[in-house]
Order: sequence, then C-alpha cells, then structure tokens
Amino acid sequence: MNYKDYIRWERMPTTWCPGCAIGTIFKQLTFALADKGLRQEELVLVSGIGCSGRAAGYFNVDSVHATHGRPIAVAEGIKRANDRLKVIVFSGDGDLVGIGGNHLLHASRRDVDLTVICVNNGIYGMTGGQMAPTTPMGLKTLTSPFGNSYQPLNIQGIITANKRHWFARTSTYHLPGLQKALRGALDWKGFAFIEVMAFCIENSGRRIGFRNGYEMLLKLKQDYKIPLNPEAPLKENELGVMKNDGQTS
Amino acid sequence: MKTLIMGNEAVACGALRAGMTFFAAYPITPASEIMHVLAEKENEIAFVHAEDEIASIHMAIGASLAGRKAMTSTSGPGMSLKQEGIGLAQMMEVPLVIVDVQRVGPSTGMPTLPSQGDIIQAAHGSHGDYTAIVLYPSSVEDCYRYTIEAFNAAEESRSPVILLLDGFLAHLSETVDLENLPVSLKARTLLPLGQGRRHFTGLLARDGIPRTKDSEYYREWYARVKNKVLQAAQNYRFYDYLKNDQAETLIIAYGITHRVVLPLRHEYSLFKPVTMFPILDKEIRAAADAHKKIVVVEMNDGQYRGEVQKLLRQEVLSIPVLGGSISLNEIRQRLHEL
Repeated sequence: MNYKDYIRWERMPTTWCPGCAIGTIFKQLTFALADKGLRQEELVLVSGIGCSGRAAGYFNVDSVHATHGRPIAVAEGIKRANDRLKVIVFSGDGDLVGIGGNHLLHASRRDVDLTVICVNNGIYGMTGGQMAPTTPMGLKTLTSPFGNSYQPLNIQGIITANKRHWFARTSTYHLPGLQKALRGALDWKGFAFIEVMAFCIENSGRRIGFRNGYEMLLKLKQDYKIPLNPEAPLKENELGVMKNDGQTS
Repeated sequence: MKTLIMGNEAVACGALRAGMTFFAAYPITPASEIMHVLAEKENEIAFVHAEDEIASIHMAIGASLAGRKAMTSTSGPGMSLKQEGIGLAQMMEVPLVIVDVQRVGPSTGMPTLPSQGDIIQAAHGSHGDYTAIVLYPSSVEDCYRYTIEAFNAAEESRSPVILLLDGFLAHLSETVDLENLPVSLKARTLLPLGQGRRHFTGLLARDGIPRTKDSEYYREWYARVKNKVLQAAQNYRFYDYLKNDQAETLIIAYGITHRVVLPLRHEYSLFKPVTMFPILDKEIRAAADAHKKIVVVEMNDGQYRGEVQKLLRQEVLSIPVLGGSISLNEIRQRLHEL
C-alpha cells in the first residue's frame, strides 16, 4: 500500500490553516497505515467535532464524523459490532478529554481495542480559541483573558490509572517519535492512546506572540525531551511510551 | 408456551426476535429490566453496560453502521441525554431503536411512578427539523409485537425509531404466548462499514462531502429525508378503533391509559393510536368526524391533545392525569363534568 491510497484527494485542500499542526499528524498516520499494509476495507476512521474532527472525512476509507465528544463511544460500538475492523479515532483534546472525557475514562477502563490519536493543541481552535482542559496554566485565551488559573488535565494519569494500558506522548516536531508511536499503537491489542503535542497558530499562537507555525514548532522542540529510559510516569516535558500488558506489576 | 412476563421483558424478547445483536444502555428506573434480560444473552449478542446514556446511543449508532441491528433503552432523564444521538442518527440516516419507558418528570421527578410526559420529546426532542417514527404499545404482547415493528420501521425508514412505554406497562405482568406470534422481519438496508470509502457525518453532506453553506441543497436533502420517513411510515399505521354508535364523545387514549379507559367503551368510542408519530391523520380525522366531542385522556398536560388539535383544527378536550396515579373512577367523573 502507498500512503496516498488513504487520502481522499478530491477533498484536498483541507480546511486546516496554513501552519496548522494537524496535517502533519494526518500524513504521518497515512504513512503508518501504509507501513502496516492495512487495506481500506478493514479500516474505519472515527472523529468528533473540531478542527481535528474534520480528519475523518479526508481519509479514503469508511469513516464516521460523530458529534462533539462522542467518537470513542461510536468507535466502541463499531469495534464491538465487527471485531475484524481496525478502528482508529482521530480527534482533538477538547473533543476527547474535554466534552468526551467520560467516554475516554470508561473505554480505556474497558480496554476496548481502539487506537486513539489525540491532537493536543491546548485550545478550542475551531470555535475561535477558548480555554481547553489541556490549556497550560497562565495562558490567555478568549475565555481566560487574565490567564488560565487551572491545572491542565493529566491525560497520562487517566490512561495509566488502568493496570493494562498503552499511552504515548509525542509531538508534531518529533516525527520519528510520532511515527514510532503510531506504529506501536496500531500494533497494540487493546486501548492505545497517543497524545500528540501540537499547536494552533491562528486562534492561539498569534495572540501569545508567535508569528507563524514554524516558531511554534520550534517551541515544541525546545520544550520537550525524549529520555532514553523514561521512568514512569513521564514528566510534563518528556515524550515517550508508557505501557503495561496487565500482567507485569 | 404461555409465560407470565412483564412489558420490559417482552421488549427485550421482541428485540431478540427482530434480530437485534447489539444492545447498549445505562441502568435507569423503570427501564432496567430490559437490560437485565439482555445481559444474560451476552453470548448471543454484543451487550454493553455503558458509562451513560449518551455513550450508549452513540455505541448503538456505531454498531448499526457496522452492520448490526441495534437498540438502546432508557427513561425520561436518559432520553433527554439521548437526544444528541437521535439527531446524529437522523442526519446520518442510521436505523436504530430507542426505548423510552416514561416516568414522572421533569428532571428526577417521581422515578417509580408512570407517566406519558415524553410524547413531544419523542417526536421533537433533538434540535432542528426531522421526522420521527414513534410507536407506543399498550399490552405486554404488544410490547413484543411493536418492538419488532420498531426494528422493521427503522430498517425501512433508515432512521432512529422510538418505542414508548410507561412505567406502568413496563412493569405490568401478563400471560402471553410470544413464540407462536407470527412476525415478519425486515432485512438490513445499510451496507456495513468496511466498504472502503464512504463518509458518514453529522454535517449536512452530499455523498460524504460537507455542504455546510448550501441552503438550496439543505432544502433538497430535507425534503428527501422527510419523504423517505413518511413513505416508510405508511406501512406502520397501527391503531385500534372501538366505535360505539351511541356515543357522542370520542376518547383518544394510548399506552396504559387506553387499558384503564377500556371499560368505558360501552359509553364512549375509543381510539388508541399505537403509531403516535407521524400522526395517524386519516384515521383520527375519520374517527373524529363521527363524533361531537373529542377528548384526549393522557398522563401529561395535554401533549398529544395539542397534536390532535393541530391535526383537526378544532377544539379538542383534555383530561390530564398527572402525578403518576391513574384511576378509572376519576376519569369517568371528569368525563361527566366535560
């Protein structure tokens, strides 16, 4: 398979802004799918609402664009109805861990065989740049004009609270790491969650002083480190994979 | 074989007979027995006790898209949560059955007492315009029969069909012989996920491509979908009309209320709609034409009366039976006072 087979070319160009991080993750996923040789007929892409949520429609496979926060629930229904399908959820942080947080909590607990890719740009981008549950403390957004006063949600903590788990944190800057995470998640039998640290230039970045997407990309490079042998849990500035097959303590 | 079962159990049995192989729900009084029966069938069907009502309807949507006949069940408070999924299933044209066992609301209300307060919610609870098929049986045997018909209607209309019960009917036990009931089943109409390149979306879309600023296409799409559901609903016009030639008054009652007013058939004509929506226009008009007064007796403050009045464009009287307690004597007295 060629990665181009997974892209619905008649839908190009995408709705995403120049300098947006989502396209990179989208393309890296098509690389990983091609690498795994997954046929279009055995794949289903599900997404929710938001900029990342638009991704499902750009994949040249059967795909479902669900309501806000519900892609994991829809995906669980699909997977339980037909176990032969590889079901991938591609959505944003606001969708998956904000409004859809309850489904994340419980689908991960039930260890449903899903690959969940979460584009974490720390903001509600499509609706104009409001504070998300993942927004860093102090950040000014439309709904936190004096700076966010809350702790960002610890997604790793939620996923790894389940004894059997697969969690990766990676970023759109660290492409080899992102690729490795995608392949690892696709191989994992059970609930696999990838948090991809990303950014939104138009509805967050420019307001906080970035001139373009490239500068935000360099910020990811500067902020995140990949430890050789990460200790559980990953620190806030670390990228890597945390997994447990449920047998080892 | 004759067995003594309750309405909720009959719904579960009917769903299995209809070929349902996916069920997801969240426990709620007075609908939980549907879950209890189906939980024991875990080897035959996919059963999920979901984290909430929103999850369970979305799981059912996913399962239906993936090729299974799917159902979810709840009561009023959960029905309010499911409205989001009902809208999605309408937009994506997904066949699905949603059971709402009504209890007294609003909010947590009176959980163990029956009501018929979700009539309008069943037809119009989700945002935007859409056409819903809503069925409401009135006996344990009919719970079984119309659960199967709800699945058939869902397949034929490719839309979410709502089956209403009330807490009374759901917990009413009757002796029935379900196995020997003749039923006909509709086959699946939707090709399952895994065909390669279809896109299902809650956005307005043409052939999987969003058309979110195309008003003209919206009108074309809306007319097609409305017509599709109305056409399918033509095959599901269920009702019972007990005409009394001496009567000047027609009583319209449905669900458990119909059962309670049944002894009044010697004094009044009785019309029981099973298909609540789309409203049985021809049948209700014909029945109304033969009577001076029309009165709707229902366990809400005139919800269906409003629909009938809209249809007939004439004064329709209402006897609201509120607060979850219903008595024939009280209804009879209020009929005399009209």
